[in-house]
Amino acid sequence: MTTFSMDSIQQAMRTSGMIPVFYHADVEIAKAVLDASYKGGVRVFEFTNRGENAFDVFTQLLKHAQQYPDLMMGIGTIMNAADSQKYCDAGAHFIVSPILKAEMATVCHRNNKLWIPGCATLTEIVTAKDLGAKIIKIFPGSVLGPGFVSSIMPVVPGLQLMPTGGVEPTEANLFAWFKAGVVCVGMGSQLISKEIIETKNWTKLQQGVTDALAIIKKIRS
Amino acid sequence: MRFSKQQIIEGMKGAGIVPLFTHDNPDDAQQVLEAAYKGGIRVFEFTNRRNNSFEVFVHLLSVAKKYPDLMLGIGTIMDGPTTKKFIDAGADFIISPIMKIEMAKVCHEHKTPWIPGCATLTEIVTAKDNGADIIKLFPASVLGPIFVSSIMPVVPGLQLMITGGVEPTEKSLSSWFKAGAACVGMGSQLFTKEILTQRDWPLLQQKVAECLNIVKGLRK
Repeated sequence: MTTFSMDSIQQAMRTSGMIPVFYHADVEIAKAVLDASYKGGVRVFEFTNRGENAFDVFTQLLKHAQQYPDLMMGIGTIMNAADSQKYCDAGAHFIVSPILKAEMATVCHRNNKLWIPGCATLTEIVTAKDLGAKIIKIFPGSVLGPGFVSSIMPVVPGLQLMPTGGVEPTEANLFAWFKAGVVCVGMGSQLISKEIIETKNWTKLQQGVTDALAIIKKIRS
Repeated sequence: MRFSKQQIIEGMKGAGIVPLFTHDNPDDAQQVLEAAYKGGIRVFEFTNRRNNSFEVFVHLLSVAKKYPDLMLGIGTIMDGPTTKKFIDAGADFIISPIMKIEMAKVCHEHKTPWIPGCATLTEIVTAKDNGADIIKLFPASVLGPIFVSSIMPVVPGLQLMITGGVEPTEKSLSSWFKAGAACVGMGSQLFTKEILTQRDWPLLQQKVAECLNIVKGLRK
């Protein structure tokens, strides 16, 4: 099983600027989405633990991902220590959560895995940082907005924030986030739309991913 | 200790505006403090955002001795030890952008007002239960006046200091005070880059005076 250092995962997140966030109960669809994302340039992918058989789909996806030695596979929507441990054991490269739960930090650190908690206030963010979080997810991103990020960045320099929830693959929206100071965005249904999944239009998905990554590159140049 | 907790709270509510400011040049910081004082400010927050903020703050404290009615506090404090360090230096009050209980303990031991930064009602009530008399709402522009008017009926008696994006205009100030704010904190919107670059202290004094007048007018 491929392993990555916490530093290399952080580095990859910062470099690409975007990680897709996706769940599906059908492993074949999940594989197709992962393949199209990879071909589009994604190197860090988050599958989310949102359905009954998420664990099975994730373990099969991990196997499938072994053909891509530079692909980092994380699991999201983890809410407690027990699930953190279960997914660490299964081989997840990093653990993402929509909440800030200290017990998850303990488990992740013990397993030498990157812990990315979800925060919605500066108090939560600083608490997460004090508990060892290097990258912090801002959730729900669209409720807080880029204005939240630009307000807090001067107060706590060096924060590495990843807004997730309602981030759009458009130049205007991505520009607003990156200008505010985020290091990376998580993108789910705005990138991997219902329509794409229903029509299994993987070419369109690959193109959408390529376009989003190109926009981010352009904003940063 | 130069002021009681009650005097400081009354000072903040009375003026309605607490300016907040940082600078790594002690002379410029002194000019800003004195211009704000001449403009009518009696409660001033210096923020701990630069490497030499402690030294500059100590300098400002020595300047503040000239003004026996000036209350000088420190902001952007993030932990217990830094709280202690600034209280020992003579800070009249401690402000933070976050709600950290260890800071409350240090402040209470020294009978110094602790003004934590909160962004949800849960954080606000936790701060209140831990002895915060005035609570800073941060970043205010993200939450908006509607956040304040929504929570005020739920927890009567809250004293909120609105910080982050408050503008020195009648429109902005009126929206916050109408919603129930006890006072507002104002930084870069008041001490603009332009004023600081040009060192236009008379203009700063005038802006401060105008701003205090707007608040006075709103409260009539």
